[in-house]
Amino acid sequence: MNYKTLKTDKLPELFDKIKKAGKTVLAPRKKGNKAFFSTFDSFDQITFDYVQSALSPKSVLFPRVEELLTYKNLDDSYSIKEPELKDEVVVFGMRPCDGIALDYLSDFFLKENPDKLLQDRKNNTTFISLACKKFDNDCFCTSVGSSPAETKGSDLCFTDMGNGSYYVEIVTDKGKKLVDAFPDLFADSKEMNKVEQLAKVPVRFDLKNITTKIPTVFETNIWLDQSLACIGCGACAYVCPTCSCFDIQDECNPKGGTRLRCWDACAFGQFTIHASGHNPREVQSNRWRNRVQHKFNYSVENLNTISCVGCGRCIRVCPAGMSIIEHLISVEEA
Amino acid sequence: MEAKNMYIPYQMRIEKVTYEAPQIKTFKLKFVNPEDEAKFSFKAGQFGEYSVFGEGESTFCIASSPTRKGYIECTFREVGRVTAALANCEEGSIVGFRGPYGNTFPMESWFGKNLIFITGGIALPPLRCVIWNALDWRDKFKDITVLYGARTVDDLVYKHELAEWDSRKDIKLIQTVDPGGNTPEWKGEVGFVPTILEKNPPSSKDTIAIVCGPPIMIKLTLPILMKLGFNHEQIFTTLENRMKCGIGKCGHCMVGNNYVCKDGPVYRYDELLKLPLEY
Repeated sequence: MNYKTLKTDKLPELFDKIKKAGKTVLAPRKKGNKAFFSTFDSFDQITFDYVQSALSPKSVLFPRVEELLTYKNLDDSYSIKEPELKDEVVVFGMRPCDGIALDYLSDFFLKENPDKLLQDRKNNTTFISLACKKFDNDCFCTSVGSSPAETKGSDLCFTDMGNGSYYVEIVTDKGKKLVDAFPDLFADSKEMNKVEQLAKVPVRFDLKNITTKIPTVFETNIWLDQSLACIGCGACAYVCPTCSCFDIQDECNPKGGTRLRCWDACAFGQFTIHASGHNPREVQSNRWRNRVQHKFNYSVENLNTISCVGCGRCIRVCPAGMSIIEHLISVEEA
Repeated sequence: MEAKNMYIPYQMRIEKVTYEAPQIKTFKLKFVNPEDEAKFSFKAGQFGEYSVFGEGESTFCIASSPTRKGYIECTFREVGRVTAALANCEEGSIVGFRGPYGNTFPMESWFGKNLIFITGGIALPPLRCVIWNALDWRDKFKDITVLYGARTVDDLVYKHELAEWDSRKDIKLIQTVDPGGNTPEWKGEVGFVPTILEKNPPSSKDTIAIVCGPPIMIKLTLPILMKLGFNHEQIFTTLENRMKCGIGKCGHCMVGNNYVCKDGPVYRYDELLKLPLEY
């Protein structure tokens, strides 16, 4: 890996130059007390005061709603057009855990039956993570095998060294390309010890115990116990940086229309319902079990990695106060 | 690997619409573009995503046999938005099709054996593909038996083909309708599929059982087959989970770590037993 430094007061200039090069820059902006990735006109609209963005940058690769195709009605048939994705994007300020999630999503969508839309977006986007200096009670990255120092899945990783400069780790060729485009802003650097600058997130459970145990507790009543409060709103899946389930829907007008891919969630009662009315996951505890089993069991079997990065968003957003940390501890104790 | 947009459907023209039963129709579909037809092939057991532009996609098996080239057929019941829109399509209109998806029945491994198909209601279409495939390769198999049941006489699908199979010497057809579903002219059996199976017990020796039907039929049929001496490796089924993408991404059809759309839909019974009961 190569390393650089960037003076923190040069960040506005970096963003300006990236924008002048025709790219879109997304950075955290406050809405109420939450931070969302958004475009901005001036640097002072950006916030640095957040533990975690309310939504991950998942939607940059896999939008909430996206066109799979558009069609026009012809006399006797249809003319079908594929979307062309050319916009180049730079995302700044995601946390390292989101990088790991992007890495998982890429594996999932690109390894088998590769998804062209996601691949194009990934090729056109540079992800810059900003390592965490703060954490809250819902953060548990260190319990699921990562830490604020993780660089996997980021193209560049910035750490505020507290001395007026960012330590920049160049993780990928895409990251290198961006840094190389602005040689007057970045200075060469040796490898530094960044860990002292970073949040010390406590470990809440032993992941190895969980992944060994979880396949064996499928038929137990812990799922019911843990999901009695669940109202099936699907908010956990909406904010989850690795949840990837979707629905396909058409919209049309008299001249043509679009086929859309929209986020969906296994928490919804209708997610699995058959045409006959039979529903394989009939009750909410079945759906909750599927969510947890998918993240800590099925993902391991299919892609050799868990699909939870410990970002804590599902805990912060749950209107029923459910906590995946508490649940995993109950698996450990079952 | 250079990815391509997997969601672009083939355009297919409806050659023929057949009314099968109340709310059930069969479409015979031909490729609009001859190049699409030339590169298209499938095997028994696979399915596809059929669409009406502006309404959406719906998942059905390919109900015709891969031995019959140049067209595919699908049979569907009008249940929701897409199937209602499909049912309104007339001969000559264009629908979308993506596929074929999923694994296949290992028919080559059944050569030299007896086949018994046990099915009910709208679950005959996924097996019809296999049945015609087997009939077109008739000398490869020993006895072929079809046990098919529906709620009422009216609800039986493929009535013309049932009559044809009934008159053929090289296939044995046992038809049944649920008690109360029979008419005065009905010559078949009356009773639920598992009961009729017990009444006409097939030999398990050198026999492959292909079972597809509503969950309750499967649940009651399997113990009878076990009692008749069938082992798990002799029984096949195809799962009909809800699907959206067909390529192992959308998550709807997941049963345990399996994506039924790519790891299935065809399962041998011993493979099925490894999955959680979420189908």
